[in-house]
Amino acid sequence: MSLTVSQARIQELLNVLVAAGSGDYDVRVRLEENDDALLDVEIGINYLLDDLVDRRDQNEAQEEELLTRARLLARQQEELVQALSTPVIAVWPGVLALPLVGRIDDARAATITAVLLERVAAERASHVILDLTGVAAIAGATMPALLRMVRAIGLLGAQCLLTGIRAEVAPQIVALGGADIHVRALAQLSDALALVLAEKGQLDLPST
Amino acid sequence: MPFFYEEATTPQNRPLLRILARDEVTLADAEGLGARIEVGAPNHRWRILSIVEKGTEYSAGARKYFPSLQPKYGAIAVVVTSPIVRAAINMMMRLTGQAPNLRLFTTEAEGLAWLDELEI
Repeated sequence: MSLTVSQARIQELLNVLVAAGSGDYDVRVRLEENDDALLDVEIGINYLLDDLVDRRDQNEAQEEELLTRARLLARQQEELVQALSTPVIAVWPGVLALPLVGRIDDARAATITAVLLERVAAERASHVILDLTGVAAIAGATMPALLRMVRAIGLLGAQCLLTGIRAEVAPQIVALGGADIHVRALAQLSDALALVLAEKGQLDLPST
Repeated sequence: MPFFYEEATTPQNRPLLRILARDEVTLADAEGLGARIEVGAPNHRWRILSIVEKGTEYSAGARKYFPSLQPKYGAIAVVVTSPIVRAAINMMMRLTGQAPNLRLFTTEAEGLAWLDELEI
């Protein structure tokens, strides 16, 4: 079987194939009522391009869905981390304790301060115990952040106490100007609670 | 609406679903045909004569749906005069595998004669 095909049809096919090869799947072969076998090829290419467009659209939709889920997960994770990083505990009526764990940068310090001040105001707390047992090292930005936190708590009329300062952390606090913090420091959270309760007249401390 | 249906009979008085197709056949149109020839539907396993006009096109969704109709019709004679439409139907048949009891014709008389010859 022989087939005579015009140069224009071959060129049209090549143009479409080149465009599709470059990623343009929206091109189509222009069809004319030529009753020959090449028409089947031309139709086949158009159908193939239709399928490529369908799959491209499906891929884009799946990609968008995955991105949306990833964004949602990231937001949920961020909310969870934020909640876990500011576990303010009411250890006694009017007494709040906040165990600090890990590195505290400016952003985290701002979040902690905001959450803490809200609780102090809401519960009319008289004392806030900041427990540093979980802080292995004080970074450069941590100390100023801690100072701001203590001052802010003081402005609300609450008294701040520091506990759990590790031996290796104490010199870092001094080196970073932490000696300017005029707060009582105690070894353990339980010591601070006992002191607060004694001040409130709700606990008799053994005389030392 | 690209499909126009008419219930008729073949020259040998057999039940015939006659379909005139034109414009763009969408998935919804193809599903409409599917509903007519579904098991329990009035035209299930009937002989079908489909006259497809020049310029008729089949959407990708319709093309993928058509193979599912194979067990639901007795036979389809497709009458088509346009080379483009004939090539489109040929390509659909190639892409979807064998289409038993589906044949292309250029005149209604040929299609009807073939439908009457078949034992369904």
